[in-house]
Amino acid sequence: MVSLVIPSDISFVVLTAVTIIGAIMALQAKELIYGAIALAISFIGIAGFFALLDAPYLAMLQIAIYVGAVVVLILFTIMLVRRERGEEMDKRTDAAEGSMGLWLAGLLALAISGVVALAGTSLPTQAPAASLPVSDLGPALTLQYPVPLIILALLLSAALLGALVLAKVER
Amino acid sequence: MVTLTSYLIVSAALLGIGVYGLSVKRNAIRILFAVEVIVNAANLNFAAFTRYMNPPQVSGQIIVFYSIAAAAMEAAVGLALILVAFRLNSTIDVRKLNKLKG
Repeated sequence: MVSLVIPSDISFVVLTAVTIIGAIMALQAKELIYGAIALAISFIGIAGFFALLDAPYLAMLQIAIYVGAVVVLILFTIMLVRRERGEEMDKRTDAAEGSMGLWLAGLLALAISGVVALAGTSLPTQAPAASLPVSDLGPALTLQYPVPLIILALLLSAALLGALVLAKVER
Repeated sequence: MVTLTSYLIVSAALLGIGVYGLSVKRNAIRILFAVEVIVNAANLNFAAFTRYMNPPQVSGQIIVFYSIAAAAMEAAVGLALILVAFRLNSTIDVRKLNKLKG
């Protein structure tokens, strides 16, 4: 779909850069607000990946729920929680802790890359040409997997009530 | 040439970034950011694997649908918890929220 307009290699590289840099900025930006906006940009990158992977419904869902709802919720919370202007909420982490976290994350990513490299020969390299139309998702959701859908609805209402009750806790 | 492996590498990198944030950051909202990044890495994995399946299958996209809905709930409840913690302790530094420590 997207590959008709732009070669998929170029869009893959651009999306990778946007997603990874957005995720890093979300965690490292000095101001929490800028971090939330960088997180939104990273989510848009993921939505682009979904479009590239021939899942336009997921791309729309990602934009509507993550960028539209979750990030806005986070922004409101940051504004509620923020104290006087100028005070730095997020203290700089000390060096020992930071290098520890870097080692941990690097080792984890390296281990997964190793597994991928080992399994690489057995993984499919070519995506099948035939892709699924979006209209296949509805029947699969309601006919093939109806029970998870109902459980999801119950979980949604439980989470909504839980958030309401939590927000009413008095000092 | 973009293969399944390239998507898996991107996903692994996102997971690494998320784990770094989880283990190093002190602000509760930052930790929530890290959790969201990790969930997105998992979603990307599901979407990539289901795209490269032959014959095409819809189940991976369904799982991502559920995962996105669950992550939205988790964000709502997590932010409510952060608000309560801020109201009770007037800080959201997770190193200072240690009342349960023996």
